[in-house]
Formats: sequence, C-alpha cells, structure tokens
Amino acid sequence: MRNRLRVLRAERDWSQADLAEALRVSRQTVNAIENERYDPSLPLAFSIARVFALRIEDVFTPDAEPPLPIGEPPE
Amino acid sequence: MTRQAFRDSSGLTAAGVAPFLAGLASILVAGFAAWKLARAGLYSWLLPLAAVNLFLLQPGRAGDARTWRLEWGVMGLVWTLAAVLVFARLLRRSDELERRLHLEGAFFGLATGLVGSVVYALLETRLPELRGQWVAVALLLAWWAGYLVTARRYRWRA
Repeated sequence: MRNRLRVLRAERDWSQADLAEALRVSRQTVNAIENERYDPSLPLAFSIARVFALRIEDVFTPDAEPPLPIGEPPE
Repeated sequence: MTRQAFRDSSGLTAAGVAPFLAGLASILVAGFAAWKLARAGLYSWLLPLAAVNLFLLQPGRAGDARTWRLEWGVMGLVWTLAAVLVFARLLRRSDELERRLHLEGAFFGLATGLVGSVVYALLETRLPELRGQWVAVALLLAWWAGYLVTARRYRWRA
C-alpha cells in the first residue's frame, strides 16, 4: 500500500510525534506506516484520513492498479 | 518458632539457606526492575527479565525442606502471575503495530519451541535430562528474540 503521509504531514508542518499523538499510536508506528513498511488496520487508516480531513483514498493507494469496475470490458 | 527450631522442624540444611536468600534477592531485584521497565514503557524487556528470573529461581536447590521449597514455589508462582498480568495489561494499552510485533514474536517462540522439542526427542538419549524450567526460559527468550527480529523488519525501536 502506498501513502502520502509524509507529504501531508509536511504540508501541515507536523512532526511524526504530533501525528502519533493525534492518532494515539507510537511515533514508531507512524514512521513504519510512512516508510510503507506497515499497512495500518482499516480503523487506523480511517483515523489517519480523518486527522487530515481527507478521504481514505486520498491518503492511501494500492500498490497494483485497481481492478476494473464490473461490467466494463477491458480495452 | 525460633529460627533454629524452624530449621530443625523443616530439615533445612545450611547449604539450603544461601540459595534461598539468593532467590529471594533475585525476586526482589527483578520486581524492582520490572516496575522500572514498565514505568519507562519498555515492557518488552520484561520477557528476558522473566526468563532470567525463572532461570535463577530453582526450588529444587532449596534442599529437602518442604516448607522452604513450598515458599520458593509460591513466590515464583506469584511473581510469574504478576509478570503475566502486568505484561497483558501493558500489551492491551499498546498500539496495533506493537501488538503485531509481539504476535509474530510469540509465533517465532512457539515454532522454535516445537522444533527444539522434536530435536530433543530425536537426541534424547544423548542429551541431559530436560527440565520444565529450561523449556519455559527458552520459550520466553525465543519470543523476545522473535520480537526483536520482527521489530527490526519494521524498523521499530524495541
């Protein structure tokens, strides 16, 4: 899973510790997520999106291309 | 009951006193260290601390005195239960990544224990008699080692 945590955090001038405190997790957890070594659980991912006032898909994107919607034929 | 009378009634030998006092001291030191570690939030270090204490606590070395052996056993049991309760409480308060690290660490410890048991069974005739205390110590240390390896994978400061 890819994420824009570092960029979003920099835009707001937040440190990893600030974000960790807002999410009630450890700074190491924020660091692991930011470096894409750990994919957060769904509740934590929603919390992250809420902290940045964004939708979850604006913060996280899957590694692979998303599957085509059902019914739409491949080109 | 005077100390001499207690010794006479329990059959305690002079050789049993030193290990008993050493065990008591180790429990007190371990309890203090556990409290300090818990306060510092370094509760994963409770695992090796428990392992060391379990290794030092050997009721069989208290001699033949049943009273003292019982006392050792009860103290060890109380300490172990307290350590487990504190560890479980602190683990509940930790975040999801750290819980995952401990889960993977515990799995590593269990897998190591299983492999070690099978290897021991194969070489049973050539190895010294296995004590349950050693198994517990090995499992705790394997869990902790697994935790450290997993933490390194996630670049977590253990």
